[in-house]
Amino acid sequence: MRLAGALLALLLGVCASPIGAADPAPEPEGFWTGPMQGAVPATIAGGKVVTTGELEALISSAMPALVDVGPLPHKPDNLAAEAWIAPPHRTIPYSVWLPGVGKGELAPDVEGWYRAWLTALTDGDLSKPIVIFCHPNCWGSWNAAKRAILYGYKAVHWYPGGIEGWQESGHQTQAVEPETPPQ
Amino acid sequence: MLKSIIALALIGCFAVPAMADEDSERAAHWQELQQAFFGDRTVQPGEGTVSLDAPMRALDASLVPVSIVTAPDSKVTGLYLVIDDNPGPLAAYVTYGPRGDPGLLTLRVRVNQYTLMHAVAETAGGRLIGSERFVKAAGGCSAPVGANEAQSLAEIGRMKLRISGPVEADKPVLAQLMIRHPNFNGMQMNQLTRLYTPMRIVKTVDITLNGEPVLSLDGDISLATDPVIGFRFVPRPDSLPAKLHVVVRDSDNAVFEQSFDVPASGS
Repeated sequence: MRLAGALLALLLGVCASPIGAADPAPEPEGFWTGPMQGAVPATIAGGKVVTTGELEALISSAMPALVDVGPLPHKPDNLAAEAWIAPPHRTIPYSVWLPGVGKGELAPDVEGWYRAWLTALTDGDLSKPIVIFCHPNCWGSWNAAKRAILYGYKAVHWYPGGIEGWQESGHQTQAVEPETPPQ
Repeated sequence: MLKSIIALALIGCFAVPAMADEDSERAAHWQELQQAFFGDRTVQPGEGTVSLDAPMRALDASLVPVSIVTAPDSKVTGLYLVIDDNPGPLAAYVTYGPRGDPGLLTLRVRVNQYTLMHAVAETAGGRLIGSERFVKAAGGCSAPVGANEAQSLAEIGRMKLRISGPVEADKPVLAQLMIRHPNFNGMQMNQLTRLYTPMRIVKTVDITLNGEPVLSLDGDISLATDPVIGFRFVPRPDSLPAKLHVVVRDSDNAVFEQSFDVPASGS
C-alpha cells in the first residue's frame, strides 16, 4: 500500500511536470550565451525564484511589475506573407512584453531601452518588486532577471514556470502586443 | 489608516484597465481566422459530422498527433486543420478524389503555444462544419528538428507505406504514409551558428490509386518533421492488385515520387 502510494506520487510527479524535469543547470558566471532553450538554474544570485503560488501571493499583496521577455516568433524569410498570421501572445494579465531583452548579449541601445522600461514600470523605485518570466526552460528570463539585479533592483523575482506554468494552475491569460525594441 | 487601505484597495480595483477574458479572446481570434480562410462562409459546429482528436496534453510539442474522423455518408470533400495560435495556422488542407475516403485522417503537427485547434469539413453541398479541441503544448514551432535532421536530409523524399487490415474492393482501406522530410519551418535556430535554418517544407502530397485521385494535401509550416499521413482509400472492383502512387512537392520545388503495390487480401 505504501509502495503503491509512493508509486502513485512518483507517477503524479512525473505527469504534473511534463516540461522541465531535467536536472537544474549551475548558474553561469555572467549571462547565459548558449542555446536559449534548455535546463535552467534553480537559483538566481541576488534575486528570488518564485513558484506560481508565490507569484499569486505577490500579485495580490503588492502588484509587481510583470515583465514577459519571451521571444517574438521568427517569420521565415521565404514564407508567403499571407500564410503567416502572427498568433496572439497570451501572457500573464497586466504584463508588459519586452521581446529580446533576455538574449545572452544585448546591443547597447536595446539595453538602454530595457533599463528605461524598468525605470518606467517601477517609477524609478529600486525596491519595487519586479517579476521576470518567459516560458519553462527559457534562459531569456534568467538573463533578463540577472540584468535587472545588476541594474540595482532589490526585489527581482524570477518566475521560471513562465506563461505555461501560470496556465497550468488554471489562470487566465491576456493577449498583449509586443513593445518594439530599437532596431 | 483603515481608510487609506480601503482607498488603496479601491485604486487597485479600478486603476487597472478592463481585461477581456481568455475565452472571448480565443473566440475572437477564431472568428478572424475563419474570415481569413473562408471569407463570408460560416463554419457550423458539428461534432456529429466531424470530430477532432488530439492529446489534451502533448508530451512533445513538435510532434503532436492529431486525428480527424468524419461520419460515413456525410459527403465530405475536403478537410482543414487549423491550429489557431500557430503562426501559419492552416496546418493542412486535404481534398478527396473518387478513390479517397475522408472517414479518417491522421497527421502530426507542431504546436507553438496552448491553443484551440479546429477541424473543418467541407461537404459536397458547400457547407463548412467544424469541431474544436484545446491542446496544451508549447514551444513546438521553434523546437529543433533534432537527432533526425541529418537522416531526414540524407533520405529526403524517401517514403514508406503501411497498410492495416484487409484490402477488399469497395471497402475503405486504412493506410499510413511516412515521408522523410525535415520540414524545416524557418523558425528553428541552429544552436551552433545562431542562424535560422531556411524554411523547406512539404507543400503538396498527391496520392492516386491506379491513376485515380485518392487525396491531395496542401501542407504548411505546422506539419511535423518527417510527415506521417494516415488516410483511407477505396479500391475499385477488379482493380486489385493495384498501385498507389505518391507525388510530394516541397517549397524548394523538389519532386519526390514513389509507387507502392497494393495486393488484395488473401492473394
